[in-house]
Amino acid sequence: MKKNTWILMGVAVLLVAVAALVLTGPAEAGKLEEAIAKTPTGTGPGQINPDAPKGFMDIPGGPTPFWFYGILWGIWVGWIFSTVGAFGGIMAGVGHISVFGLGDYAASFRKTSPVLNKLVTDSIRTSNQYLVGLSALMSSVTYYRMGRLVLPLGAALAIGGIAGAYLIPVLTAGKISLKAYVGYFGIIVLVIGCFLFYDTTPAGQEKKKKAKAAAQAFQAAVKKGTGAGDIAAQGVRVKSWGLTRIEFTFFGVEFHFNPVWPVLGGFFIAALSAFIGVGGGFLYVPFLTSVTNLPMYVVAGTSALAVFISMITSIFTFMFVKGTPIDFMFVGAELVGIAVGSIVGPYTSKYIPDVWLKRLFVVLAIYVGLGYTLRGFLEFRLPGI
Amino acid sequence: MDLFYQVLDHYLIRFYRITGQAEVDFVIGTFVLAGLCLLMGEATVCLAFRFTRKRLEQRAAEAAKYQDLSMEALKAGNKEAYQAANQLANEAFGHSFFQQVALSAAFLWPVCFALAWMQQRFLEAEFPLPGTNWSLGFIGVFIIVYVAAYFLFKRVKKRWPDFRRMKARPGASLTQGRENEGQSMRLPQIRQIDQKNN
Repeated sequence: MKKNTWILMGVAVLLVAVAALVLTGPAEAGKLEEAIAKTPTGTGPGQINPDAPKGFMDIPGGPTPFWFYGILWGIWVGWIFSTVGAFGGIMAGVGHISVFGLGDYAASFRKTSPVLNKLVTDSIRTSNQYLVGLSALMSSVTYYRMGRLVLPLGAALAIGGIAGAYLIPVLTAGKISLKAYVGYFGIIVLVIGCFLFYDTTPAGQEKKKKAKAAAQAFQAAVKKGTGAGDIAAQGVRVKSWGLTRIEFTFFGVEFHFNPVWPVLGGFFIAALSAFIGVGGGFLYVPFLTSVTNLPMYVVAGTSALAVFISMITSIFTFMFVKGTPIDFMFVGAELVGIAVGSIVGPYTSKYIPDVWLKRLFVVLAIYVGLGYTLRGFLEFRLPGI
Repeated sequence: MDLFYQVLDHYLIRFYRITGQAEVDFVIGTFVLAGLCLLMGEATVCLAFRFTRKRLEQRAAEAAKYQDLSMEALKAGNKEAYQAANQLANEAFGHSFFQQVALSAAFLWPVCFALAWMQQRFLEAEFPLPGTNWSLGFIGVFIIVYVAAYFLFKRVKKRWPDFRRMKARPGASLTQGRENEGQSMRLPQIRQIDQKNN
């Protein structure tokens, strides 16, 4: 365990050092100033009035969402995280795009200043990730310290994740208009909503009931069986490394996986997260369990670390390699709200069954997903979108 | 919010004017700022856990229960029971994980406000790295100093009685282990396995 700790700390330090080496403060101001300078001046849509007070991203005349609304929306995001169990990142994205008017503001520059349109879009994408990525840091540190991380699996996921999280910002930063981004965001939300909808249908509920029945039947059989006692748990022990097969034991039971799958999975999930700006955390766990069939204890820490690494890589690439500016004060206000929402959520979930929470989210996801897809690809707007 | 920063600026900037050496003062001031962020974050997290501990522990216990069951099923060679229990464990873990992710915001919110203030004050600041053509901006310096302050704060926390009480956090029970290598890990509801048969 000590050796693994040193290895992982070394990787973390290397990540920080590499990220730090590409940091330049003025780059982010320069890129924005350049875009503002090229935008037509005036007071109409798609124009910038240099005498107007500075708003979002310090752009003169930019929207100035009241920080308290950021806290309120953050409470909603935190509530979603702590009740539905995922998808808070999607709600964060909805807030940035629709609720605070940042999407409309970016869209106003579509014809007059495409560079500014894309820069604001990138800022929205990165702000979405901040809210999830920073938070995943704490969870992954906790799980790693508890020794529930399979280092080769984590490394395979991280390699794929870093590649995806780096390449997508490099290839797409400054190139995606708000219209296109909203359309793709809508499609992803629709797909997620459909998966979640299945969970709330009788077929989906039946699947869960069967799993519970099987687990309870086995538990009853165990209770009748051998005597109690503690076993010496060995934690994770890696037995062999290879390019096509990695073997390790956990609780004395042997597991193996082909590292190619986590690399590919990590790449695609991280690429999706980096492109859309939402977590991907909800994808790692089902991926790891369905593709590798690994037990939850192993999946827990590994997926947390994968989310953290891909988010941080993506954020750093957007901000420091591509110079995307961020409104830290607003993100900070949202984080305060998320913290509050995460406290409120457990209390309300006592009174609202899980399945109804999911149904609520499904309705939202379908409306939002459909709305953004129609807005992005057909320029048709549903109310509130 | 500008008024808030104007008031805060008056106090924070004092930490950046201690020695008169610009680079040294910047590191000292940023270290103090990082320390304040850590203290505020820790206090917020402690407050948040007071309200959410029970629920977090319930979720973690549910995940642990099904996880233990899945491991026993695995050792017993019962694949159906393993997959069923593992699926339930993953679902319960998902809730626990995202709840903790949201709670993590309680620890990190001061960092964003600190960066927002530094952005207004030190946007143009650059620290050339010796022997290279690269330089660090204010964010880079803050991150490095924050990480260093975090590890220092962790050591100090161990000796601080109030923080020691908060050491075992909810959700840690999900993967509670001993920090010393080689010690056995005790989990609830584990039955002794006949290892000769495995």
